[in-house]
Amino acid sequence: MAGFIIRRLLLLIPILLGVSILMFVIIRMAPGDPAVAYLKLSNIPPTPSAVAEARHTLGLDRPILSQYASWIGNAVKGDFGVSHVTRRPVIDDIMHFLPATLQLAGVALLFTLVVSVPLGIWSARYKDRWPDHLVRGFAFVGVSTPSFWLGFLLVLLFSLTLKWLPPMGKGGWQHMIMPVLAVSFMSLAINARLLRASMLETASARHVLYARLRGLSDRRVERSHILRNAMLPIVTATGMHVGELLGGTLVIESVFGWPGIGRYAVTAIYSRDFPVIQCFTLFLVTIFVLCNLVVDILYAWLDPRIRLNAEAAL
Amino acid sequence: MTLASLDEHAPRRTLWRLPVRDTWLVRIALVIVVLLAIAAIAAPLVAPYDPNAVELTRRLQGPSLAHWLGTDHLGRDELTRLIYGTRVSLGSVALCIVLIMTLAIAVGGASGYLGGRVDQAVMRFCDIFLAFPTIVLALFLIGILGTGMGNVVIAIALSHFAWYARMVRGLVLSFRQRDFVLAARAAGAGRVRIFFEHLFPAIMAQMIVLATLDIGHMMLHVAGLSFLGLGVQTPTAEWGVMINDARQFVWSNPMLIVWPGLALLLSVMAFNILGDAVRDRLDPSLHGDHQH
Amino acid sequence: MRGVLVGALLGIAATIAPASGVVAQTLNFSWPANVGPLNPHAYAPSQMFAQGMVYESLVKYQPDGTVAPWLAASWTTSEDGRTYTFKLRDDVTFSNGETFDAAAVVANLETVMANRKSHDWLELISQFHSVKALADFTVELQLKDPYYPLLQELALVRPVRFLAPSQLPASGNTEEGVKAPIGTGPWKLVETRLGEYDVFERNDSYWGQKPAYEKIVVKVIADSNTRAVALETGDIDLIYGDEGPITPDTFARLKAQGYQGEISPPLGTQAIALNTNKAPTNDLAVRQAINHAIDKDTLISTIYHGTQTRADTLFAPTAPYSDVGLKPYGFDAALAASLLDKAGWTLAPGADFRAKDGQPLQIDLAYIGTDAVMKSVAEVLQADLAKVGIEARLLGEEANAFYARQTDGNFGMIFGNTWGAPYDPHAFVSSMRVPAHADYQAQLGLPDKAKIDAEIGQALTSTDETKRQELYTDILTRLHDEAVYLPLTYSTAMLVARDNVGNLTFGATSFDYPFADLKPKD
Repeated sequence: MAGFIIRRLLLLIPILLGVSILMFVIIRMAPGDPAVAYLKLSNIPPTPSAVAEARHTLGLDRPILSQYASWIGNAVKGDFGVSHVTRRPVIDDIMHFLPATLQLAGVALLFTLVVSVPLGIWSARYKDRWPDHLVRGFAFVGVSTPSFWLGFLLVLLFSLTLKWLPPMGKGGWQHMIMPVLAVSFMSLAINARLLRASMLETASARHVLYARLRGLSDRRVERSHILRNAMLPIVTATGMHVGELLGGTLVIESVFGWPGIGRYAVTAIYSRDFPVIQCFTLFLVTIFVLCNLVVDILYAWLDPRIRLNAEAAL
Repeated sequence: MTLASLDEHAPRRTLWRLPVRDTWLVRIALVIVVLLAIAAIAAPLVAPYDPNAVELTRRLQGPSLAHWLGTDHLGRDELTRLIYGTRVSLGSVALCIVLIMTLAIAVGGASGYLGGRVDQAVMRFCDIFLAFPTIVLALFLIGILGTGMGNVVIAIALSHFAWYARMVRGLVLSFRQRDFVLAARAAGAGRVRIFFEHLFPAIMAQMIVLATLDIGHMMLHVAGLSFLGLGVQTPTAEWGVMINDARQFVWSNPMLIVWPGLALLLSVMAFNILGDAVRDRLDPSLHGDHQH
Repeated sequence: MRGVLVGALLGIAATIAPASGVVAQTLNFSWPANVGPLNPHAYAPSQMFAQGMVYESLVKYQPDGTVAPWLAASWTTSEDGRTYTFKLRDDVTFSNGETFDAAAVVANLETVMANRKSHDWLELISQFHSVKALADFTVELQLKDPYYPLLQELALVRPVRFLAPSQLPASGNTEEGVKAPIGTGPWKLVETRLGEYDVFERNDSYWGQKPAYEKIVVKVIADSNTRAVALETGDIDLIYGDEGPITPDTFARLKAQGYQGEISPPLGTQAIALNTNKAPTNDLAVRQAINHAIDKDTLISTIYHGTQTRADTLFAPTAPYSDVGLKPYGFDAALAASLLDKAGWTLAPGADFRAKDGQPLQIDLAYIGTDAVMKSVAEVLQADLAKVGIEARLLGEEANAFYARQTDGNFGMIFGNTWGAPYDPHAFVSSMRVPAHADYQAQLGLPDKAKIDAEIGQALTSTDETKRQELYTDILTRLHDEAVYLPLTYSTAMLVARDNVGNLTFGATSFDYPFADLKPKD
């Protein structure tokens, strides 16, 4: 197992290198001179001499390979340069805003799992009866609901009409309820639906039929034979939810005034603050890829066949 | 590289599957989609007003006979703007799909046909794109390219095409081994001809299935990015922007925020239902989990 | 299960309900950003309102336009108007216990003078020649020229207020930052949490009238709508500000709900600069047509709910030297259209917008995309201009990008504000000579730009009152006749407070926040 994990970790390196190269190339290919953008943000008129000076300061006059090498070299040491707008080291800002985003996304992920699993089981247990219809209907609406809009509907209901929950900001656990609901609604719907299908599929599998024939109770069969196998697709889906939840959180932050990295990134995008955009992207991709790695490991742990296959493939 | 979880797209496509026997749902969805298409194409004929006609004296009015859904903060007719909004939503998604298909056929096709090193390199390239969560890639690209609907479309296309490219590559690889392709080649048919006669229709069928399943998702992304202010420029009517504009009137005119969201919800739902139906019709092979 | 749920909901309700019965000693306020490092000699990201809470000036601006003694108890002027001698109060200490004396004044003003370039918008700093301590509490200030607005500008929030000398960096140059923001003011900054809040506590050793509140918590709320909701839920007690802390729609709604709401007298002018150096606004006819095309009264009665008044000139006639009998450009769409026709901007059959020699009549209008009211106004202008065949393209950008446009002149039309008292008109016209200002950029296409700049310089240093008025009259008339600006409204500050805040007043200028005057009540 340890070897498996290490090999997987090593595989991340080419992916992250690839991501960083891709970002670097896109930035250089994009219309508009980063030096001019830098000057604008610094309130310096972009005269030819000022542009040349800025190109030198930013290292844009060096060969692109050497630019990349020094950028990635610094990045590995945790130095992502200085924001053109706030003049603070980018890494400081990112580390300041990232935890709030991760907190929200993490709670949303937890909430997704805690609620969707019982819903899925419930739905499968009462297949084609009203709980099943209810859960499937909910899943269907959930998958089509814009999360940021749902956020406003929640504010309308719980803050403006009922006055139960604070409409914005970060504070006690009350502040988290609505953002978490809005962010996780879609993943929750997908997960519940997926678990249901997966449980029904496993329920008709041979070993489950044998178990039933052996006279085990329905509940017992459900717990020890169906659920464990049915959990596999959930684990896979969780990997994907991490991406969805992270992305959803970035948008939802602007609805609830959550002091996370999403709003920070949008501000940076508006002002075309390249060092921030680069660092933000690399961080979120890393988190996403790491989460997928955890999911992979979990998956392999749940199902040794995968691990063996994967090791054979390497 | 076989990061199993990066294959997440495969399960997603089957997640919101409805039983196809609910044909009345499919019919309703079809009606909605046709209505949306009409609204988009014939907006100037269907809409009661000019979407950009500012009339400050009748701003923020509730529903009335003259304005069925009321007016917005500049006195523009809400219903008219909803109707014009379909143009942006459908148009941008259509553009995304065209872009995605072109990219996927080019990249995936080249990878599958040429094989070897090229294939390896192209697939690694796709892996890199797959390592991005959609919104993050979109935010990055818009951050570099600048805001605007065109860049939103490019961003969404780039964050989706890798899945399609992989699928095209898979199809090409499997086709290369099929008997009739080998036979056709033995009979002297050129690669190009084989491609257009045999492969292309199959690829298109698969891609249309995937695309229909993704339309709803893409609409949500377009609206989400517009909501953040990264998409269309004023005064263009777009649902995400309308939601954002309406947020400051949430107390006095809550319905202003409800309408565009509802339009978005219904459209996405209709496309999702239709996507399921199309998939079931065109591609029975994707029925893996459909046993109940 | 159900019981638990109900219990939880009751719990929520209980924690949200505001505590009653005790007079709160803490005032909860909000601001779109953290207050920043509070360097008294620097600008963004230090927030002006907070610099004003911590630091004090030698003299204080009064609502009637005069200046009163403050940290300086008295002063004398030399015959030639070039030497000012200030007698400082001898009972003032910084909030860390250091004595405020002549040495502190010299240390602060010298670092400001050393960084003249950073303050080139303010003529006062260029006029400083030298500063020296004559005694423990006596300071002499030498000017290059007799500069009449000196006292007014010494009252400004920045950059001429005073940091405790021990908090200067080792080099003594505050351009490098400050150690800690220690001033003589009634408040001291005690805590900053990035993205969340800043906390100020009352300076209990304050030399003057001590504030009634013990503590002010400034919560970071970027969105005006959220700010209004925060007031309603009791998260904040006060909304105050001149830059649209909430939208006029929300102001009207909150007032209707029974909150205390006040509008200040007019402060400055909201005017759009029209770029004379860039086609098609380099055409006088186009600029005049724009001025005639906008229906300001409807804009004010609807978008602004009457919280602001119509502006017809760059400075209100009530501002010093500004009542010069300019003839307003009235709202007259037909006149606008005929001006354009005459100038060759014609409407092709079937076209929505005019063109001249194949060049479309298309103008970029830059605004701050996150400012809901500015956006609405921009949309209204766009619609009004479309009615006369002018196509305005709206560029809604983040604040930094917007300000960058002001600096580099990359705009057709751009929102702007005059600075209000005590800056208007002298400091504002003075800044028109600085390239990093939208006004300079917008005026660059005027044939008489050089003459205007020269006259501004003369007006500022003229010792003859009649001559000065003549110069101002000429400057303002030229700018008005050339239609360099589209004045929209005279802006105001607004104040909304919960019932627990009493003694509501406005500061003498839009930069003075009257926290020290507010009193808690039941």
